[in-house]
Amino acid sequence: MKPIIAAKNVRNERVKNVDFELMEGTLTTVIGPSGSGKSSLLMLLNRLTDPEEGEISYKGRPMSDYPIDELRRKVGMVFQQANLFDGTVEDNLKFGPSLKKDWDSKLGVSLLQKVHLPEDMLTKDVEHLSGGEQQRVALARTLANDPDVLLLDEATSALDMRTVELIEELLDCLVTEEGKTIVMITHDLKQAKRIGTYTLFMNEGSLEEKGNSKELFNNPTSEALMRFLEG
Amino acid sequence: MTEISNLSLLTMIIFVMIPVSMSYYFSLGISKSAIWSSFRGVVQLFLIGYVLTLLFSLEDWQGVGLWVTVMLVIASLQAAKRGKGVPFAFTLSFVSLLIIEVFVLSVWIVFDIIPFKSEQVIPMSGMIIGNSMVATGLAFERMKNEFNDGRGKILAALSLGAKPAEASKMIIRKTIRASMIPNVDTLKTIGLVQLPGMMTGLILGGASPIDAIRYQIVVSISIFSCVSICAMIISLVTYRFFFNNDMQLQTLGGGD
Ligand SMILES: Nc1ncnc2c1ncn2[C@@H]1O[C@H](COP(=O)(O)OP(=O)(O)O)[C@@H](O)[C@H]1O
Ligand SMILES: [Mg+2]
Repeated sequence: MKPIIAAKNVRNERVKNVDFELMEGTLTTVIGPSGSGKSSLLMLLNRLTDPEEGEISYKGRPMSDYPIDELRRKVGMVFQQANLFDGTVEDNLKFGPSLKKDWDSKLGVSLLQKVHLPEDMLTKDVEHLSGGEQQRVALARTLANDPDVLLLDEATSALDMRTVELIEELLDCLVTEEGKTIVMITHDLKQAKRIGTYTLFMNEGSLEEKGNSKELFNNPTSEALMRFLEG
Repeated sequence: MTEISNLSLLTMIIFVMIPVSMSYYFSLGISKSAIWSSFRGVVQLFLIGYVLTLLFSLEDWQGVGLWVTVMLVIASLQAAKRGKGVPFAFTLSFVSLLIIEVFVLSVWIVFDIIPFKSEQVIPMSGMIIGNSMVATGLAFERMKNEFNDGRGKILAALSLGAKPAEASKMIIRKTIRASMIPNVDTLKTIGLVQLPGMMTGLILGGASPIDAIRYQIVVSISIFSCVSICAMIISLVTYRFFFNNDMQLQTLGGGD
């Protein structure tokens, strides 16, 4: 296995001590108190912001070597808020592919199927969707670009338990069958224990602990993580 | 046309005192500024009366050139206030107002809609520049607000691989659309709800209503077009300032 993304001694005004490698075809969860810099960390990985110090590389080359818009299609992101564009569900799904003149209306149906939404939703105005539906449309919109890396910022927070299971199945399948790499912020510790191989623990802007999820949860080394796990 | 005597004009003080005493009784805290702005308005208008008299006595090209320049500078300063934080807000306002003024004036003169005379060009230009000034200021404000409120959507668009122009498209569309709506509404009810100021003036001055509406048509339609051009120029230029060279969103200084 080789790292698809590697961050070396990265620091900016919101995060520090960011040093880790993401292996291709794995799922990593990111945990930590709110305001600890989890979202800020994710935004560094598709260059919505840049480090002030240190370097992040993608497939062995510095991220700045790639045209930034190409890199962002390869490292897709789903935000904490759905941030859907005004218009229909289809307008949203085709946004990424249309930038490359690469949209096929058949794709819309298969994307909705992936996130377990009915296909007649395609023509629905996003205003009329529930929070959970919006969140899944946002996920499908990012999947439409077929990214290699998927950054998820609490992407299942608005879903009911049953739907969370379905989306976790989908993520699992993306990793094991399509070889995608996923980084997923979650505030749900049970979820972090349930899925993924690796875990990053953020605390006060600092990447405090990282490693295999089971080891990290069973033998936390830092005081901060122990306290966080106790709730 | 009958003249309003100085004495009659003085009775306007009664009208000023009504809002002022209301402000006093209801503690609205605007009595000082109400008196001051009325006073300032009166002085300003008298001065303009003398300035215009002077301008009309100059050669037409001199009078027009001089006063249009003054109007453009004042209007740009005012519009740029709304664009606080946007780089080059004054220059940008000035250039777009200038483009609009030149464009509209050329159409008016070339198609013989009005003659190139100070008495005609100056007041008509004033209406164009004044309305365009408001539109420019609103476009600045709108762009700033949209980029603030719509931050999440812009980030989402960027993260999907959109370039700044593509990510800003919805905001630009909203800004241009918003600039047109008040004019669409005005045109729909024009003359029914309120006689436009210029028509009122012409009729008071003794022009026949049919002549008055001809001028009003020219002005209203010209304003409609100028206002949309303004919003288009401002939004198409300013969206760039919200991004850095790495297609990342940046916050503009200067607050709201
Ligand atoms: N747009 C912003 N401007 C300034 N500071 C911000 C912004 N977003 C987040 N922050 C600050 O950065 C820190 C990290 O926030 P964030 O990455 O959102 O944490 P988390 O996702 O773990 O809750 C917090 O202190 C937060 O207040
Ligand atoms: Mg967050």
